[in-house]
Amino acid sequence: MTLVWLLVALAAVPVLVVPLTGAIGRRTGWVVAVAYVAIAAAMVPTARDVLHGDPVSTTYEWVPTLGVSFSLRLDGLGLVFLTIVLLIGAAVMAYSAEYLSPKRQLGFYLWMTTFALGMAGLVLADDLVLLFLCWEITSLASFLLIANAGSGGEAGAGRTMLMTFIGGLALLVAVSVTIVATGTTSLSEVLASDVWSDQGPLTVTVAVLVAIAGFTKAAQFPFHPWLPDAMAAATPVSAYLHAAAVVKAGIYLMLRWSEAFHDVAVWNVLLVCTGLFTAAMAGLFALTQTDLKKLMAYSTVSQLGLITAAIGIGTPKALTAAVVHTIAHALFKSGLFMMVGVIDHGAGTRDIRRLPALRRAMPWSFATVIVGTAAMAGVPPFLGFVSKELLLGSMLTATGPTWAGWAAFLGLDGGAVLTFAYCAKILFGAFVDGERDLDDTVHEPGWALLLPAMLPIWAGLPLGLAAGVLHEPVDTAVQAMVHHEAYELSLWHGITPELIGTIVIISIGTVLVLNRLPLRPRLERSLLPFSGSGAIDGSVRLAHRFGGFLARTVGVDHPARHVVPPLVVLTLVLGVGSAGSLALGDVPATVDDLWRPIDAALLLLVTLGVLGVVLSQSRLAATVFLGGVGIAVTVQLFALGAPDVGLTQLMVEMLTVIVIMLVLRSLPTTFAHRTMGRRKGPMVLAVAVGVAAGLGTWVLTGRRGIAEPGRYFIDEGYEETGAHNLVNVILVEFRALDTLGELTVLGFAGLAIVAVLASVPQSARRAAAEPPRLRPMGDLDDPRAAHALEDAVGNLRPLQLLLRLLLPALVVVSAVIFWRGHNDPGGGFIAALIGSSAVALVYLGRADDRPVGPHRLHVGLVAGGVLLATLTGLLGYLEGDAPTYLAPLYTYLGSVHLTTSMIFDVGVYAAVLGLVMIAFDKLGNAEQMPDEDDAPLEPAGPANPREEERA
Amino acid sequence: MTFLPITVAVLVAGGVYLLLQPGMVRIIFGITLLSHAANVVLLAAGVSAWRAEPLDTHAGDEVADPLPMAFVLTAIVITLAVTVLMLAMARLGGDDDTYRIPDSGEERHA
Repeated sequence: MTLVWLLVALAAVPVLVVPLTGAIGRRTGWVVAVAYVAIAAAMVPTARDVLHGDPVSTTYEWVPTLGVSFSLRLDGLGLVFLTIVLLIGAAVMAYSAEYLSPKRQLGFYLWMTTFALGMAGLVLADDLVLLFLCWEITSLASFLLIANAGSGGEAGAGRTMLMTFIGGLALLVAVSVTIVATGTTSLSEVLASDVWSDQGPLTVTVAVLVAIAGFTKAAQFPFHPWLPDAMAAATPVSAYLHAAAVVKAGIYLMLRWSEAFHDVAVWNVLLVCTGLFTAAMAGLFALTQTDLKKLMAYSTVSQLGLITAAIGIGTPKALTAAVVHTIAHALFKSGLFMMVGVIDHGAGTRDIRRLPALRRAMPWSFATVIVGTAAMAGVPPFLGFVSKELLLGSMLTATGPTWAGWAAFLGLDGGAVLTFAYCAKILFGAFVDGERDLDDTVHEPGWALLLPAMLPIWAGLPLGLAAGVLHEPVDTAVQAMVHHEAYELSLWHGITPELIGTIVIISIGTVLVLNRLPLRPRLERSLLPFSGSGAIDGSVRLAHRFGGFLARTVGVDHPARHVVPPLVVLTLVLGVGSAGSLALGDVPATVDDLWRPIDAALLLLVTLGVLGVVLSQSRLAATVFLGGVGIAVTVQLFALGAPDVGLTQLMVEMLTVIVIMLVLRSLPTTFAHRTMGRRKGPMVLAVAVGVAAGLGTWVLTGRRGIAEPGRYFIDEGYEETGAHNLVNVILVEFRALDTLGELTVLGFAGLAIVAVLASVPQSARRAAAEPPRLRPMGDLDDPRAAHALEDAVGNLRPLQLLLRLLLPALVVVSAVIFWRGHNDPGGGFIAALIGSSAVALVYLGRADDRPVGPHRLHVGLVAGGVLLATLTGLLGYLEGDAPTYLAPLYTYLGSVHLTTSMIFDVGVYAAVLGLVMIAFDKLGNAEQMPDEDDAPLEPAGPANPREEERA
Repeated sequence: MTFLPITVAVLVAGGVYLLLQPGMVRIIFGITLLSHAANVVLLAAGVSAWRAEPLDTHAGDEVADPLPMAFVLTAIVITLAVTVLMLAMARLGGDDDTYRIPDSGEERHA
């Protein structure tokens, strides 16, 4: 099977999992297990090639402009990890099918299989960018799997995310620096590159960054706290990710880069020290745990520390040890994690203090855990013993002074003693020492659960007895890293320092085990006054507080403070800039005849209106003044020779005022009062910005002839399009993409209103919906007069009568304006606004607040409008000469000039109308919210799928 | 000599003053005034000396620049959308005071 097909097959699994979990629920695990075994079997011929020294590779072009390619390469090292991913994956999946609660379990299987895909991609990637992407996939899937555990997992998932993303960032920087330094993204070329040989700052930087990335995934100090945190996840997740896969991604990364860094001193020292320290620290912490799963997590951290130290030594023997221990650890640890699940299942708890002595009730589990812990402790004849001996022996091969090797040897020996001790704690704690009475409920679970857990553990026995079987794959793996033969694997090497080391480990360990009962209470407490996850939480809180401090300075939740800095900058740039240009005197003279008398009159009106808006305390009065300003500006637009703009402004002005009135009904009648002292600052700033804006306008406009583009539209516009109204043609043809964007903004503003109002709870809206009683005449003595004022139905009769005539007229006018838009003032926008005013009149003509038009018509109009305009753009590709998006097509129907931009304009019309209808429907009915409005975004049909999931 | 810059100055000053007030409705009014100002600036950029409507292209040199007009038309409709959206926000909670969170009425800024 080629590598691409391997990835395709692995990618197909998560896709198939979706329907499969729907059909057979948790039993999906068996199917996935079979699939993984089948994929592994199909890989055997390829694997044989690789073992014969022929790495398999394949390359596809991906982003050629950046030199990034989709390159895959399978060599000996990748093969070891790929095998672990597939086979341990299969065992864990089979276990999950029985272990998980009988629900659909879509999240679990989806992210587990996605994770397996990411992991396979990671070990196959021969391109740095691809490597990074797969690395992040494993991070994300790991986060999701922990978060999948529900509320208990959220905090831990967050911390895991934080830790692994620190590593992700480090890897990203390392990858970027490497690509720049070597000029290639090919991993194999990069590793073989000679830029690393001088061991200069570049090498040191990249080595440290790669080490940090590896440490975060492989849970090395100080990034280790995420792994115990991650124990919130389901046990199969821990068995796969936290024993065999995700943590091994970190190990893989460090092994892979060993080719470049195995003789870089910084790399050696950093890895060996961190690894040995982590091994000892986590070993000690493991002894303090009473939760078997947490204990297992610390033991994983500790074992990974041993492997990291071996990678740091970097000699062929050390790398051999690292690879073998990776295999051994993947086997016994994933099995032991699953055994913890078995114990949990059988006894109902996994806390040593509450477990009875299980050895009689669960003999098979007892035997399996004996084998697993013995392998982890390094007792012969298991594979764990072979790898532990190798680890010990490899420490002595360290480059540098002899004492360094011996120090590492002693450090590792100490770590191994702790390993022996906590292995014993697992075994005796669960099966021998329990003080509680065995009750009848404790039982050995079925074989469906037990067998997948036993398989990886028992596999360590034959592999240990015949360690030579592993020589070929381990040898190709080591060859891939250091181009040197691997160290010979066997149970018996003669009397060597490492054998003496093992004897010491077992002797001290046995002494400790014999004295375990008095020792335990001393250890089972927190050794430190703080915890790693507490430290992470603390730093996150600190970051939050710092972010809050930064945010306060710009006041994102404080409109006034938020806009002051930009306004001050604007004033300075515009005011000082304009004044400076004037003073320097390099500004061209203004064009003659820039003004007309009407400008002065309009300026007066605008000034009065603005003063009115600013000074009035009554919201109603301010609205009237605002409308006045709007009308004055509209006239100014007409006076500047812009009839389309003027018409649009007029319609928008009217609609805005109506909508403002709708909103004012549910607000207090006056603005909040402010003392004079607090008005001074805004006043000064307002005058300053105003002067700057005026000055800027004067200096920067009216000092040249007509612009080139304007000249082009005036001279060529008609010939190009056959239309007289240049503004309309610019909107729907020349710059139609702008208009499409505008349309989308419009539509989304409408949808945002619907969504925001739907998100406010009904009770809050009802509390808000007590409109102030507007009584223009004050309280009237005559009850009939008061009644006449409030009699909505009677008062509206004249308007309703008028509407009978007005509505058809408005519809006709709207259609005419739409049609004539090509040659005369008009077009989609103006026509839609006229149509909207008809909607407004219908609304105002009703005595009660009811939506105008059918339920959800407005949302349909917005969506339909945007969709129609977008799709019309595709017609542009049919254009013969220059097919582009939104290019208009022309045709004649008789003597009538037709163009596709008219269809586009229909989209414009619908979207604008939809927005206005949303405004009236959503803002208009303040007093009575129809019940169907409770959840306007949810389908009226049967159950909402999201609800179902939550239930 | 031209009046448009003064119109712009008045509109901007009023708009900025309102923008700095507490209360969503006044902020919205401020933004409306600022939009007017921006539109006038855009049209002024087309040079206000030529004011013939860009409909009859045979009017020759007197025709106003149509491009700023198209920009302004777009801007006006977007202003409508933004205004309506902000008005919807203003209505939440029965008070438009931007110094309070509507639901709880909790004081945010002492």
